[in-house]
Order: sequence, then C-alpha cells, then structure tokens
Amino acid sequence: MNHLTAETFDSNARAALNDSQLRGALRHATSLFGKRRLAAARSLNNWEDLRSEARRIKDETLLHLDKYLTEFTANAENAGARIHWARDAAEANNLVKKIARQNAARLVVKSKSMTTEEIHLNAALEAEGIEALETDLGEYIVQLAGETPSHIIAPAIHKTRHQIAKLFTEKLAIPPTDDIATLTITARRVLRQKFAAAEIGVSGVNFGVAETGTILILENEGNIRLTTSLPRTHIAVMGIEKVIPRFADLEMFLKLLPRSGTGQHLTSYQSLITGTKRSPDQEGPEELHIILLDNGRSRMLAHPTTRQSLACIRCGACLNACPVYQQIGGHAYGSVYPGPIGAVITPQLIGLSKAAKLPYASSLCGACREVCPVKIDIPELLLHLRAEITRNAEGGENKPDIAPRRAEQLAFKIWAAIMTRPRWYEFSASLARLLQRLVVRGNRIGKVGGFIGAMAPPLAAWTGARDLRPVEKKSFRQQWRESGRSPTVREGA
Amino acid sequence: MSREVSNNEARDAIMQSIRAHLAASPRLESASVSLIPHDDTGANYQPATGASDLKMFCERLESVGGHCVIVRDEDEAARALARIVSELQARDGASRIALSDAALVSRLTRDVAAEQLEVCPQVSDLFSYDAGVTMAQAGIAETGTLILEAEKERHRLVSLLPPVHIAVVRAQDICPTIGDALKRLRGDGESGMSRAITFITGPSRTADIELTLTIGVHGPKELHVIVMDSEPEAKNVLRR
Repeated sequence: MNHLTAETFDSNARAALNDSQLRGALRHATSLFGKRRLAAARSLNNWEDLRSEARRIKDETLLHLDKYLTEFTANAENAGARIHWARDAAEANNLVKKIARQNAARLVVKSKSMTTEEIHLNAALEAEGIEALETDLGEYIVQLAGETPSHIIAPAIHKTRHQIAKLFTEKLAIPPTDDIATLTITARRVLRQKFAAAEIGVSGVNFGVAETGTILILENEGNIRLTTSLPRTHIAVMGIEKVIPRFADLEMFLKLLPRSGTGQHLTSYQSLITGTKRSPDQEGPEELHIILLDNGRSRMLAHPTTRQSLACIRCGACLNACPVYQQIGGHAYGSVYPGPIGAVITPQLIGLSKAAKLPYASSLCGACREVCPVKIDIPELLLHLRAEITRNAEGGENKPDIAPRRAEQLAFKIWAAIMTRPRWYEFSASLARLLQRLVVRGNRIGKVGGFIGAMAPPLAAWTGARDLRPVEKKSFRQQWRESGRSPTVREGA
Repeated sequence: MSREVSNNEARDAIMQSIRAHLAASPRLESASVSLIPHDDTGANYQPATGASDLKMFCERLESVGGHCVIVRDEDEAARALARIVSELQARDGASRIALSDAALVSRLTRDVAAEQLEVCPQVSDLFSYDAGVTMAQAGIAETGTLILEAEKERHRLVSLLPPVHIAVVRAQDICPTIGDALKRLRGDGESGMSRAITFITGPSRTADIELTLTIGVHGPKELHVIVMDSEPEAKNVLRR
C-alpha cells in the first residue's frame, strides 16, 4: 500500500476499486465534505466574487513572483526570521538537517504539511538518526501505520476506527477500545510528552504576506500552535507560490480556504507569525527559519495554463468533487498530491514521463473547476498535459505508437464529417441499423459469437466492461416525420 | 547571522528561473493584473457597533462549541469567572488554575477559591494545570473568534496547554468582520503588530477518525468567553 507510484496508476486504481471498505469510507467522506462545502459557500452572498478576487490576487502575485518574494523575505528578515532557499527536495532536506545539527536535535515535532510530504522530509531526518514525529492526529495515525496520507485535509480517511484501535493497541500498548474519544485522548497524551521534549518544530505555511513578512498557518487541532510555540526553533517549509501581497488579502483567503476544505466558517486556530519574538523573556521560539522551496514550481510560470497550478491553496475540495477520486481514493494516484489537483501538479513536479497516466485519471466532467475556490481550470490543465504527453510521444522514437494515433485521427475526421451533414448522418444510421442485425441478440450487443471481441481492440475495450445499446429501429427524425406533426414549435401552451 | 554563499546561490538560481520562465510565457492575458486597492489601509477599522455584533459573536462562538457570557462590569465578570471555576471544581475536581500576566485577569480572579492560582507557571508545570485564564485583545463577530496578541500579554501557552481556556474580552474590542480585525491589527503599524498573533474560534477539534467530530485533541477541549460590555444601553441608543 505504501509504495504505490504514479507509474502503476492503472493497477493501483483497479486494486482500490476492489476494496469495498475503502470505497464505503470514500463515499461517506467525499459526500459529507461536499455537502458541508456547499452549505458554507452559501452562507456568504458574494462567494463567486470572492473566488474571482482571490484568483486575481494569486495571478497578480504569480506574474510578479520575484518582486513579492523579495518583499516577503526582506520583511521577514527584518522581523528576525532567517530565510533559506531550496531549489529542490534534497536542498530543502539538507537545510533542515543542518539546522537540526546546529540545535543538536534528537526529536522534531511536525505539524501537517503537504510540502514536507512532497520533499519526504521524515525519511531524510530519520536517515540522520533524528526522530520526526507527525502530530496532526490523522498524520500521526498514518505515520504509526507506516502509510502515507490519502487526502489533503483528512489524511487517514481510508482507515476505520477498528483499524486505528488495533494500531494503537499494538504500538501504544493501550487496552483494546473502539471509542474514538479514547483514541483521540491517547494520541493527546502520547504527543504532549513529545511536544515537551522536542528541540525543533517543523510546520508548513498556508500564506506568506509580502507586506509584513508574516506567515499564516490554519488548523483545528492545536498541534500547530504547540509546534510553533514550544520548541526553541521553528522551521517553516514554504512553497515559493504561497506568498500573497498584502496583509488585508488574508481576509478573502480566510473566508475561502476553511469553507472549501472542511465547510467551516473558520478553522479553530490561525497562527500569524512575523519573525521572532522581540525580547528573550517572551514566550515562543528563539529562532524562526523559513525555507522557500522551488522544486519545479518556477517552471510552471512559463505558460498561463500551467501557471494556474500555482494558485492552488490546497483545500482539497476538488478531491471530494471528483468522481474518479470518489471511487479510488488518494493512494491510487501514487503521488503526494492526489485527486484532480494532484493529477495536474504531480506530472509537472516529478516529470511527465513518471506520471503520464495521471492526466488521464479524469472524465473531464469539470466538477473540480466548479468547486475550486481560486477558479483553477483543472480540465484545461489536464488537456494541456495530455497534449504535451502526445507531443512527446510523437517526437520520440516510439514509431509503433503513431499508427493507432493516425487511425484515431482519421476515425474522428470521418465522425466529424458525418455528424455535421444531416444526409450523411441519416444514411450512416440506416447502414448501422442494417449491419447491427448481425450482432444484436435480445436487443443487446454483447460478447456474442465472437463478433465484437474480434473487432479492433479499441472497440473491444468499450464492450469489455459494459453492454452497448443498439441503434433504435427508427430514428427520432423518422418517428417525427411519421407522426405527421409540423416541425414548428407551438407558441404558448 | 551571515547568510551562506551556497544559499545565495540557490536564491539567485530560483529568482533567475522565475524571471526566465515568466519572460518565456505567452501573454495571453492582459500583461499585468493589477490589484484592486482595499478601501483603506490605515488604522481606520470598524469597531463593533453594538448589540447585534455582540449577539452574533456569541451565537457564532456557541455554534462551534464555545460558551459565552455577557457581563457589565468587572464585578460581574469576577462573579462569572468564579462560577465557571467552581463548576469545573465540582465537575472535574479542577484545582490548579493558570493565569496570564494581565492585570485585569489577576483582579478578576481575586475571589476565586482554587487551591492553586499561579501567574504564568513554568512550561513543564503548565501541562498539569486544569484551566488557563487570559484576556483576548480583540474579537471577530462574524466568526465568533478571539484574537490573542502575544506582545500585549503573556498568554500564548496559558491559553493552549490546560484543557480549559477561559478568556475575557471587552465588547468594544469585537470587530464585525475578519477584514475589520485585520485592519485593526495592521493599524498599529510594523512596530505595533505582535510578532505572534493567534486567532481562536472555539475549542480544539478533529475529525480525523471516521470524520467523527472529537473535541479537545491537542488544544483546550473547553472554551469559555466572558464579554465585558460596560455600556450596553448607550450603544443601543447610538444605533437608533
């Protein structure tokens, strides 16, 4: 379960489809999140305006990202933060390791952060002999189980209380229980000792404000407050796209993100941290390190379509809305970022060749675009990436691949020619009606007498999983003509 | 504090990459998306305008599982606080109450009969306290949120580690909206804005196990807010 990759997406997805417990959990979670999101969005009368305005702010920031990053880092440094830059995951991990060594750290407490998942920080720290402990309840469960998160907002969405109870009984030596409150309190008790002992707290960043150098982190549990208040050193790992221009811009993101993510009007806690404390006797860490991570992000700026990917605020709404995610869950994507946004970000981060299946993990229904709080046109992005994959294949030496593609192009040209000419359409429909007599049995075209199975492979793929309805005996146009009714629409009625 | 050469190298490379990729981008959209100025940027924030904001603050707070009580003056606040503490004592046997260093918090807890009242205990000790009492520097009506500014008061940990958080906020510090609250925070200028600011909306919560709402995972499982509204009538008159 743990080592799925995006390259094996097809078999991952098939395995997930056979996991009825997983599918039940997904159905419950995605529909609940979806309903809550809708209700929360409706609690505001200017939801659509907020979405447009938030996107506008993101676009403005991305078009001048160098300027806003310069402003952000200058202001954060003025307030005592230390800024580090990482071109890729290895550089980011090395920076964290170096800071850990300087602090002689044995234990690092972590609050939930997709960015540190992206760079696989935990594994890097453990290789150095430093314990990296996830403190978000869902992340903690997933880490104890040796798994990876399956949802951006609810990492352990794929596990039942019974599985978690068994895990806690084994690993934490508690008496068997199925009570969720008891399990939660157990995690609280175990993790409090760790918070008290940790030398370093590692967090992500939801928004970095250029104007003030402030970082803002949202949460519900309180583990981020603990992570950023108790250890003497706080390290915040931040993607370069997380910067926004002004402090006042936080308002709309604070309205959009919780509503889109969990359906809350506001999450329980927001921590707004600007550099370090002014005097040593105040509470809070002595040091704040902000690591700015590129890791493939700056490349996405090169085209207006791919640039949209950087507007994402990681709410997870597109996962819940996606009919593909709803069926297969997060692990099948084999990547840190699952769902529709994962299907567009992952290939751009790790390379199209390593995640070439993901842009096809979509029916292009557009539900993700409808719910996205910053109006990312994910279907457009999916098509853009598919086109790129096709171009790469044609440019390569994979000549055998080109023949079916040529056939496909020809087939669609013929299809288009027929569909745009009524006479041709009627003729081909009658032809189809005539020919289907050879294969129709009991008003169905099934796997009969080998006829369909013997047809060209692309068509066999269609009938492999479903029966095809035959063409009706009479077309609508024919029936209309026979009814003798005039073809004009009646007024009134 | 000198920044290392290698890191400057990474910075320059990333900036270079940002500029090069932006320059390569086809300009399908208008060359520059400009920011719409926010209506104002200064200290000109909107204070709460009276009973309706206060009512909304309490409603929103209670809708997320917080408890809200409105009082008129310090005496009433002290009595409300004593009542909450004695309930905790009766229910949980709470005996150790941690206080922030705010003068008002000390005044309001004069009459509280707890075995141990302590102003800002040691962190290691604070883990075993039963409740923490602090002020909140501001509130947000539309979300039922408290705002704690770390440089105005030593309350970052007292509000976080004990299982019960009792907060006192003045009605005139409750802003109608998130936007008003952000303006108020910024209004103090660079030097005035606290380096650490915490927004608190209800008790600590999680739904990470089977999406079942569970209260009090890492932070307080109970949040009591005492709102001091010293001139309720005057404000109602002003609103007419």
